[in-house]
Amino acid sequence: MELELGLALPGGDLIAELGLASEKSTSMCRKRGFDDMFCRATSPPLFVQKDGDDDDGDDDDSRFNHLQELNLGSRVLVGWPPVRVSRRKSEEGGKRRVNCVKVNMEGVAIGRKVDLSLHDSYQALFLTLSQMFPKKQHDGEESDAAYYKVTYEDEDGDWMLVGDVPWEAFIL
Amino acid sequence: MVRGFGWAAAFPDEVWEHVFSFLAADADRNAVALVCRAWHRIERRSRRRVFVGNCYAVAPAAAVRRFPEVRAAAIKGKPHFADFNLVPTDWGGGAEAWVEAMAEGWPHLEELRLKRMVVSDDCLELIARSFKNFGVLSLVSCDGFSTAGLAAIAANCRSSPVHTSVGLEVAILVSVASEGVNELSLVYLLLSSADIPYLRNLRELDLHENEVEDNCLNWISHFPESFTSLVSLNIACLEGDVNTSVLECLISRCPNLKTLRLNHAMPLEKLVSLLQRAPQLVDVGTSKFSADHHPELFSKLESTFAGFKHLKSLSGIWEAGPTYLPAIYSVCESLTSLNLCYATIQSPELLKFVSRCKNLQRLWVMDLIEDNGLIAVAASCKLLQELRVFPSDPYGVAPPISLTEHGLVAISAGCLMLHSVLYFCRQMTNAALLTIANNRPNLTCFRLCIIEPHTPDYISQEPLDAGFSAIVESCKDLRRLSLSGLLTDRVFKSIGASANRLEMLSVAFAGDSDAGLHYILSGCKNLRKLEIRDCPFGDKALLDNASKLETMRSLWMSSCSVTLGACRQLALKMPRLNVEVIDERRGRPLESWPDDFPVEKLYIYRTVAGPRSDTPPCVWTV
Repeated sequence: MELELGLALPGGDLIAELGLASEKSTSMCRKRGFDDMFCRATSPPLFVQKDGDDDDGDDDDSRFNHLQELNLGSRVLVGWPPVRVSRRKSEEGGKRRVNCVKVNMEGVAIGRKVDLSLHDSYQALFLTLSQMFPKKQHDGEESDAAYYKVTYEDEDGDWMLVGDVPWEAFIL
Repeated sequence: MVRGFGWAAAFPDEVWEHVFSFLAADADRNAVALVCRAWHRIERRSRRRVFVGNCYAVAPAAAVRRFPEVRAAAIKGKPHFADFNLVPTDWGGGAEAWVEAMAEGWPHLEELRLKRMVVSDDCLELIARSFKNFGVLSLVSCDGFSTAGLAAIAANCRSSPVHTSVGLEVAILVSVASEGVNELSLVYLLLSSADIPYLRNLRELDLHENEVEDNCLNWISHFPESFTSLVSLNIACLEGDVNTSVLECLISRCPNLKTLRLNHAMPLEKLVSLLQRAPQLVDVGTSKFSADHHPELFSKLESTFAGFKHLKSLSGIWEAGPTYLPAIYSVCESLTSLNLCYATIQSPELLKFVSRCKNLQRLWVMDLIEDNGLIAVAASCKLLQELRVFPSDPYGVAPPISLTEHGLVAISAGCLMLHSVLYFCRQMTNAALLTIANNRPNLTCFRLCIIEPHTPDYISQEPLDAGFSAIVESCKDLRRLSLSGLLTDRVFKSIGASANRLEMLSVAFAGDSDAGLHYILSGCKNLRKLEIRDCPFGDKALLDNASKLETMRSLWMSSCSVTLGACRQLALKMPRLNVEVIDERRGRPLESWPDDFPVEKLYIYRTVAGPRSDTPPCVWTV
């Protein structure tokens, strides 16, 4: 799944946005009004590509690169760390894919990475995002759900509000 | 005073058998068997349980012949490092030879436990057909079979009482006698449909961490309607869907069911309706524990778990998040065993859950619990005996987790009954290890895995020799140890000198020279299993300590500095060892390689069965 995200800072009447681009939008076909989302004056969010199916490949490469930096010559480390094969299978393949998406918040230069597979619901995702991105300091607003709007870009290039479809369908 | 050993005849054999029945430990029974011929005979005929730690250490026929009345057998196959992909998949460990011998010689076998063996569907069918009073089948870390084999096991289960089937058999014999040979075909028909009670009273089907091919979707439906004796069912390792309604029927008709561990695939709603049928469960492994929040599902889950009055052990909880975990808070207080190592739940929620489990004795958890979580556990779970902390991100892709040596130190201080530790982390200090050693001299199992090889004490930059030395010097009953981090030969000197009870040692990326291996092999009186990878240990230590190897079950060395010449010498010197050289490059045959050829993987084990006959192309017995 290819995902692109952006997150914009709230400010005054501005809405913070999390943009996600998803290739599989077959189940996500309802469109929302985009005007309010595009009305912010700031520059478009920084999108950083995350290859969906290639993610494992990228991760593999970075893992091997990381390991090759050790003083072990050019050999790739097999079986280290000593985690059971079947556990690895359940972590890398099968149902629990590492599903990292990059999240950018508008106005913040440095993005964060969120593993969607570590979350079991929208509430959990919003919680993580609120912990990752600093809230604006002006008023002790507690309710992040009201404060931020999380959006994603589906494969048709349409901006959609996160939360319409069941979580399981969303993370596919 | 009776001269000689005539006193053995003073009592009839049955009396001695009864006396021996109080000896549970194999070592004790082995000792008894050496006293005199009479005792040897009596003991071997009365031994009911056999444990074969290495399936190639003895020929199956020999084992069956020696102990003809065995009722429970446990057999292990591949070396431990097979769990981490270091052993070629075709290396061996096939179960056929054993199952065939057992089918032949132990028809009354009731329990079979296989670990790290290759079990085919044919094997499972043979097991299903051969043992009339079979009660327990446990397959751990095995592969080679599919759900079709499981269907065969299921299909042969019966719970019918004995007299019914005997009566039927007698009736058939009588009718054959009176109607003559032409009726033979009818007899076969009758016999095949008669309720011949194979696998009678299967109580336990335990499938733990096996690689099972999924080709028979409805294998559970092969359990007959009359089958009601199930006590324990563990299918957590199965990947595919399981028919929930069939499973529900099975569970409903097995009133003695105490353990039920389901697999990942079942959705949460189905899990709830299943568990509602069995409030008597003591050990539950749930399926997937995540779904969108539905208040109705939440309260159903809550009431189901509140209904478990006897629940002691909880596992599964795949992908659990903060949404549904609070629904099961009601069982926390009664739990003694909790396995959350598939739950990807983050620290604050994890902490809330675990710190309610005041009676926990065993906790397996991901490093997502972080130091804070472990500090809370140390304060709440005072009865904790075993802790395992697994890495959520072993390859370092995601942002680092705040789990350090502090968590383990806190646990060692707060949990006075802690004796078994498996801990994955990214940093450690000698000071922390010293503290742990001083806090917990009662440790029997200490396995520390610092994820990055050669990591020193991050504060002093020293090797971690002092820390691990403190562990072996303080923990006099240490039976299992795994080392990691930056280590020199010094730590091996301490281990060799102090680790007198050590039975299993795992070493990786450690040591400077052969001296390291020499210290281990010349010390460690009780060492049974030694596994080493990526250490600069070579020929000299191996050859100097050749006789030690016969006192051990096995030695694994990979990516070390052993040459083929040393292996040849060792094999020559020690005929009761199998010296297996494993090389997957499959070049020219072993005989043509020179002595200085570096051996990539080496597996040495003692055996009375000689070189095995089922070596694959990549394995040579030197």
